[in-house]
Amino acid sequence: MQQGRNAEGRVGRRTILKAAGTSLAVAGLGATATACGGGSGSGDGTVTLRYAWWGGEPRTIAIKKTIALFEKKFPKIKIKPEFTDYEAFWEKFQTQASGGNPPDVFQNAVGFLRKYDKRGVLLDLKTQADAGNLSLENFRNGVLANGQVDGKQIAIPVGANTMALVIDLKAFEKAGVEAKFGWTWDEYFDALQTIQDKLKIAGDTGYFSIMYLYDLYLRQNGKAFFTDTDLGFTEDDLTQWWEDGYKRVRSGLVADPKKVEQVKPKSALSAGLAASEFTWDNFSIRYEGEGESDYGLAPIPTTDGKDTGQYLGSLMLSAFSGTKHPKEVAQFIDFMVHDPEVGKIMGYDRGILATTEQYEAFKPTDDNSKGVAAYEEKVADAGVLGKITPHPSGADVIEAAFLRIGGEVAQGKTKPADAAKALFSEAKAAFAG
Amino acid sequence: MTSATSPALPAANERRRVGSIAWHVGALAVLAVVLYPVVWVVGASFKPSKDIIASLDLLPTKPVWANFSGLADGISGIPISSFFWNSLMYAVLAVVGVVLSSSLTAYAFAKIRFAGRNLLFTLMIGTLLLPYHVLLIPQYVLFRNLELTDTLVPLVVGKFLATEAFFVFLMVQFMRGLPRELDEAAKLDGCGHLRTYWSIVLPLSRPAIITSAIFTFINAWNDFMGPLIYLNTPEKYTVSLGLMMFRDQEGISNYGSMIAMSLVALVPVIAFFMAFQRYLIDGMATSGLKG
Repeated sequence: MQQGRNAEGRVGRRTILKAAGTSLAVAGLGATATACGGGSGSGDGTVTLRYAWWGGEPRTIAIKKTIALFEKKFPKIKIKPEFTDYEAFWEKFQTQASGGNPPDVFQNAVGFLRKYDKRGVLLDLKTQADAGNLSLENFRNGVLANGQVDGKQIAIPVGANTMALVIDLKAFEKAGVEAKFGWTWDEYFDALQTIQDKLKIAGDTGYFSIMYLYDLYLRQNGKAFFTDTDLGFTEDDLTQWWEDGYKRVRSGLVADPKKVEQVKPKSALSAGLAASEFTWDNFSIRYEGEGESDYGLAPIPTTDGKDTGQYLGSLMLSAFSGTKHPKEVAQFIDFMVHDPEVGKIMGYDRGILATTEQYEAFKPTDDNSKGVAAYEEKVADAGVLGKITPHPSGADVIEAAFLRIGGEVAQGKTKPADAAKALFSEAKAAFAG
Repeated sequence: MTSATSPALPAANERRRVGSIAWHVGALAVLAVVLYPVVWVVGASFKPSKDIIASLDLLPTKPVWANFSGLADGISGIPISSFFWNSLMYAVLAVVGVVLSSSLTAYAFAKIRFAGRNLLFTLMIGTLLLPYHVLLIPQYVLFRNLELTDTLVPLVVGKFLATEAFFVFLMVQFMRGLPRELDEAAKLDGCGHLRTYWSIVLPLSRPAIITSAIFTFINAWNDFMGPLIYLNTPEKYTVSLGLMMFRDQEGISNYGSMIAMSLVALVPVIAFFMAFQRYLIDGMATSGLKG
């Protein structure tokens, strides 16, 4: 190498030419820029809004229909859809938010509100509501509060969902056990024991790694997973929760985590490894599609025989604080959450419709939607719905950490006490970040 | 077979044969492990969507075409062909950019002696150490202010500016190995640098260029992060982003079409590799030392 360098040195010394490379490259840049660059301005008063969401193909097709409807009624507003799946959406959103270029309107979830409110990304829609561009009336069961943080309305719910226990109906019937409203944890685990004894399958797929279920358990005991700024429980609480969980994995009451891992992306419930799984009620559609059995929604077990600790969570629409068209954004959100036609098109894809106009307009015909609607009605009638647990900035990271560390406990890799310590230290970092 | 060889060495022959069989069996075993995922994907692409995650069989019991024919309908109202077209545009522009700019830069580093050359070269190599995520947001802000997001420009402009330090390095090393008599001769015949670059060094560097082209193509084709960040309009998505659209965390993912599309997405990469690897070997064999 050394020799080669000396040799070249002797040959060429004309340093002028070093400029040639640069100028050629610049010429290349110019060419691409002119080829691909495109403006977005328009002079006739038409406003273009970027609207982004995550979700599968059915949701996208439905949303596109609602957009067409909106553009017909508001010909001066054009909507540019942007969509991808959940993980990619938030990865992209994070960069766009840091770069000051998020979409004007986007789908949002409770866990992200404070995080992006802290960074000033979310528009307070209250001013727009006061200006009459957006109605905050007719939201069902107080879900509107889900979009409020520190007195600001930074998101508008489009749907409502709550945690549920999805059960394998055939397995429950064969084992002769029944899920009743107000049943206690002891009764629940006894039922699982009967299922395990009679059917030789596990009872549950791994309840103790689900942050939102632990939240319900804590709420039943007068605490909650989060306070406004911190975790709402102690390390000892969590150690106890995970110790009980691990004991149940060892005894086979909870499905073997290795097998649960093997059947992924299929759920262990639809794979027939266990007879029940806790999840959000609007996710329950996947089980019918994946599994061979019949599935239904069952009530969450309680501590005192009554209170399930449940609340309604939501998918919501938020707006970017730096949008150039706050009025049009508000009109768009208003249309999307209140218009009955939109409700008919969307159905329960993003949860039970949040406003009475849309809820009354849509009459579900498929079994899954009917089941979810009946379930939420029962929960509401039972009078157990409480105010949503606050989600401090970092809640999304902690949820993922809870799932991961809980999984390590299940596999016996981490002792419950160490796992609880690990979660607390990760939570601290997440709150700070 | 043994009778034909010398009777004095039956034991040695025997040993060689056993060794050979053992070697082949071992190689086949490794091959099976390596090929298993490929066979699985091919098998899965012919299974009904529900069976892909439900059945453990490697091959479908009843092959179906539904996954492939389903691709013709597109996803979420976007034809699959537009993903392929976008990826192709991206990959081809990236290849052209890298080949032109990197080779020119490499020529300067390898063949011209100028003040600060070693320092600049070191700096360029240093850029390899910068993690992508450090650059991500500043770059994003830059392109946003230039109003170039949602175009291919942010993805390919760097390739035209020789920012792919690894390929520059690769070509520099290769060009340094070319006999200097060749460019000395060119100089004697009156060639300037541009002419020497274009007519002498570039053709001789074919193996390095082809290597860079193949890797650039594959990298661009598989790039996920860049298109994810910069492209907003779903009609402008590349294949890697299109694949993600078959996933649905809250409902039922369309695994059948996803796997069928990933198989189809492999075709251009393999075709590109097949087309150019011939030149790769060809180029190696003849690099420079003739006459």
